[in-house]
Order: sequence, then structure tokens, then C-alpha cells
Amino acid sequence: MRRIPHLILLILLPFLAPARAAAQGVLEVALERRMATELGLRVGDTLRLGVAPDSLNRVARVAAIYEPAADPATVLRRELRLRMHLPDLAALLGQPDRVDRFGVALEPGASADSVARTLNQAAFGYRAYPSSQIASESSQTFRVVSRFHRAIAVITIVASAIFLLCIMLLKVEERRMDAAVMRFVGIRRRTIFLALLLEAAVVAVLGSALGVGIAWASGAATNLYYQRFFDTQLVFSLVTPDIVRFSVVLSLVLGLAAGALAAWRLVRTKPMVLWGRG
Amino acid sequence: MELRWGVRNLRRHPFRTALSIAGIAVASAMLLDMVMLRGGLEASFADLLLVRGYQIRVTPKGTLPLDSEATLPDATGLVATIRRDPGVASVAPLVATSIYGRRVAGPDSVVTLFGYGIDPRDQGLYQLLRGADLAPDDSAGVLLSDASAAALGAGIGDTVTLLGVLDPQMAAPAMERRLVVRGVVQWLYDYRDQPSVGTIVPLMQRLARTEQEDRVSVLLVKARSDAEVEPVVDRLRAQLGGAEVNGVADLVRHFQDRMVYFRQLATILGSVSLLVTVLLIGTLLTITVNERLGEIATLRAIGVSRASVVKEVLVEGTALTVVGCALGVALGLVTARYLDEILTSFPGLPATFSFFVPRTPNVVTAILVTLLTGALAGLYPAWLAARAPIAPTLRAEAT
Repeated sequence: MRRIPHLILLILLPFLAPARAAAQGVLEVALERRMATELGLRVGDTLRLGVAPDSLNRVARVAAIYEPAADPATVLRRELRLRMHLPDLAALLGQPDRVDRFGVALEPGASADSVARTLNQAAFGYRAYPSSQIASESSQTFRVVSRFHRAIAVITIVASAIFLLCIMLLKVEERRMDAAVMRFVGIRRRTIFLALLLEAAVVAVLGSALGVGIAWASGAATNLYYQRFFDTQLVFSLVTPDIVRFSVVLSLVLGLAAGALAAWRLVRTKPMVLWGRG
Repeated sequence: MELRWGVRNLRRHPFRTALSIAGIAVASAMLLDMVMLRGGLEASFADLLLVRGYQIRVTPKGTLPLDSEATLPDATGLVATIRRDPGVASVAPLVATSIYGRRVAGPDSVVTLFGYGIDPRDQGLYQLLRGADLAPDDSAGVLLSDASAAALGAGIGDTVTLLGVLDPQMAAPAMERRLVVRGVVQWLYDYRDQPSVGTIVPLMQRLARTEQEDRVSVLLVKARSDAEVEPVVDRLRAQLGGAEVNGVADLVRHFQDRMVYFRQLATILGSVSLLVTVLLIGTLLTITVNERLGEIATLRAIGVSRASVVKEVLVEGTALTVVGCALGVALGLVTARYLDEILTSFPGLPATFSFFVPRTPNVVTAILVTLLTGALAGLYPAWLAARAPIAPTLRAEAT
């Protein structure tokens, strides 16, 4: 028998039964699409539901299959979910007239904070929260992930900056002989410096363009892989214009700075030394 | 000789060499962090599960320990059944539920608490910090954590009031007990500042109103030896059809599934770090070799062997990698602590959990991989140096 991972509260098993057997006392349930796919269920199929493997005594019919809104909070848990009418679930759990939570819609103009405060003053056994507070607390996980990503990004930027500086330095130093010849024929240091800087700028622009292309392609590959892996429509990698702008500007600034530093060192060196005879 | 020659060459271009070492250091720091992240998640989780030596968890079917509100009925019968297994050394029942407590003083007197029901003789949930442990039949005592002691404003010897299920319609708790604080403990699986309290199992069941069905959340099972774990798990799975039986290895696998994102991220970033190292060393040595082709050709002309030239280039690459790697390990350990502080602030994560675990095998793996990568990166420039034609190169140098 296939194991159903992390199914909370409800245990269910699909079974084959004649349609008329399910005519009386049959619950109607809506299955999440991923669960229906995993268990091979379709609309009209029947299930046995219960709160324990040895008490699967309620028959349910699949009335609908739905695609839930993509939710990053639950994607990693990969829970299998179904929906049923509240009284049916309460009866199944043996806890009639009990709920986990209420959603309260306010009249226009009412403040969620003040209503929650009023409810909490009279509260005994429950606590009222404004939706904004719940949203803030439930997004804590993503704030942590976001901080982690920022920290990794800083390390990556430092590594990239050093790498870029190193490559630019080597690239410019490759032009030692050219620079020596230009100095011998009377070209001014400033002109050589600007020529080398221009070369660095071209390399930085081309590198940035290539980087944006690679980022876009790897982002698309990331989304494709994780969307299949988690069977979700969530977008995992987003290359926004702001990110592109920031990355390109950073690359250009770093590239030009590295090129300028390397070119400056080169033009300060005596031509004979550049020629290898100094 | 090759070592001295290589080091002298690196010292000819101090700025270039320093930059390369800095690049390698950052790349190897990143690699070390990612190796620690990849292995640390599993190691830390396994350590956490095994901290009190219980290698097996029995939970309601389809659930993981304390992952849902589902509970196991007939705990006494289950414990007796499990204890009868010849490979089982002990069984620790655990009730986990949400309860309430009255502050010893203060205006808003009811606080929400996490309640644990434990058997003090067999428990895998806490370590005593101060005061005394509960006696096995102590129905008048309670254990607090520092967080719950602060929330209730209570200390050892004080009397606190715990409330069971609150009834909003009656505005009264279904159960109320006054208990004496026996000790302050560290609950091993609590997240930071989680206000938890512990009593003996029957008392917590009464507070949760589950005593009639004798329900528990999880049973922790200790096998007589590590070799007994798998056979015991198999036997219990066959015996307890309505329960989920998992060894620590199974739980680590479930955990890996949930943490797959971090493991894959660690693999990708670790690979990128290696690529950066290869590119840095490869580019640097290639350009250096191209610059020194005349010198290399001269050395070859006076009888220095190809093998010596190759060795010198490889030594140069390895020297860069060794220095960069040494700095990278120090940098990696510092950044790992910073990154760990970020990730361990995940809500609901046990406070004792760590993402980046600096174990010797992890550090050694990162160092060896970086050194190997550095040595391999020198192969192409070494090959370039070895195949440089002597006469044409010298002629080109002379003109």
C-alpha cells in the first residue's frame, strides 16, 4: 500500500465500490489536484475516510478536483489535502460544533486592530489577531530566507569583484608590449590610459550582457526544475528589471574601476620595463 | 628547486598574486560554508534526535513527531507492547499539547503555554538545569523552562496554576491544577523562547482531556544497541499497524526532503565556488606562463627538463591554492557563524539546531577539494609551458 506522507488528522484510502453502494451517507469532498494525481483518483471515485487506519468507516465521493493557490509556506511540506463541508468534518472528527479558527469580515471603515483589541479584552479561550499580524508572522520564514539570500549575495559580489579585478588586471597586463610600443612612438600616457579603460569598458559591457543572459537562462531552468520537483506554479527565480539594472551597474562600475586601476599601474611603468629590458 | 622557483615567480607580481589569493580565499570560504551546510543539516538533526539516546519514534500513522495534533490512543498498552520486544531497552511516552497558565502576578493573568507530559524515568525530552526532577508519580509538581518561568513570573518552589481546555462560552477552564515548580529544564526540541512546561503524563492528559483514551503524541524508543535499531523498527512496523515507526535514519530522510532547497543550493554554490577557483588559477597561470615563455625556453635550452617546467607551474598553482585555502578556511568559519545566526532564526526551529556544523570531515573535504581543483587548474598552463618550442620562442624574444 502506498504511504501518504504527513496527512494531518485524516486517514483515507481509495477503494473500488459499486456506485449504488455509496448512495446513502456519502460525503462529498474536493481533492487537491496533486493528491488526486498521486492517488490516481478522478471525480466520481469513492474513498473511505476516518481518523485512524482501523476506523475508515465513512464513505466519501470525489465531487471536485481543485488547484490550490500557490503557497510558498506549504510547498516544502508536500501535504495531501482535501476539502469537505465543515459539519461533515466535525462529525468525522467526533467534535461537533468545534472549529480551529474564525475569519471575521469587518464593516467598511472598522479598524481591524481596534476590533481585535476589543475581542481580546473579552476573550477567554481564544485570541483575535488582525490579518496583517498573521501575515507578518507567517512571512517570518521568508524574511529569514531573504536575509540568507542577501548574505550569500554579498559574499558572491565580493568574490565576483575580486575575480573581476584579477581578470581585468591580467587582461590589461597582457597589453604590456602594446603599451610599451605606444609609449616609444610618442603616444601620451593619458591616451593609452583611456584606450585601456575603453577596452575594459567594452569587456565589462559584453560580460554584463552575457551575465544577464546566463541569469535569465539559469532562472528559467531553476523555475522549470523546482516547479516540476514540487509540482507547483510558484515562481522560484525572478529576474526583475531592478535586479538587472543593479547587477549591470555594479559590473560596469567594478569593471571600470578594475580596468582603471590596472591601466594606471601600466602607464606608470617605464616603457623599457614594459618592453622587458628595464 | 621547483618550489623555490614557483614562489619566486609569484613574488614577482605581488599585487596580482595577492588578488588571486584573495579570490581563492573567498571561493574556498564559500565552498567550506556550502559543504558545512550540506552535511550540517543532517548531522545536526541526527544529533538532536539522538541527544538522549532514543533511536526510534512511534507516531500516529502518516505523521512525523510533533508535526500535527494527531495522537496515539491506548498509550499504556502500546508502551507495554513495545517493551516486550527483546531489542527494546526503554520507551518514553510523550504528550504534547497546548495549555494555559496563570501568571503568579500581573494584570493579564492567563498565558498560553506548551505542555509536555513525560515519564521522568524514561524521557528523551529535557535536561535538568536547576532544582529537582519530577518523581515518577509526582502529580503535584511541574517543570518549567527559563522562558515559561519568565512568562509565568515563577521560580523553583513557587506554586503555579495550569489550565486545561478553555471554554469561551462558559468562560471557565475545563481543568485547573495548582502545581509546585520542582525544577527548571532545557526542553531539547523547543524553539527559542518557547514557553513550555512539563508534568507527568497522566496529569497532562487530564489537562488536555485525553486521559480517557490514554492518548500520547509520540513514543520515544531506545534500542539495546545501534545494531538492534533496524530489526526493532521492522518488528514494530509489523506489530503496530496504526502507527508510524521511524528510526533516526528515516526521520533524517524525511527532513532531507523538506530541506532539499538548502541542500541543492549548497551544491550549486559549492560548484560555482570551485569553478571560480579553476578560472582564477587557470587564467592567472596561463597569462603568467605566456609572459614567461622566453624564460621557460631559455631554461629548456640550458637543459632544464620538461618535467621540471611542468612541476614548477603546478607548484605555483598549488602554492596559490594552499595560501588562499588557508585564509578561506578561517574566513569560511567566520561567515558560517554569521549565516548560521540568520538561518537559526527560522520560526519553530529547535534552538539547539545548527545549519553550519564545522566538523573535521567537512573542513578536510573542503580543503582537499579546493587543493585538488587548484592543482588541476594548473594542468593546462603547465602543458602550455611544456610544449613551448625552444628555438622559435628564443628567436621571437631576441627580436
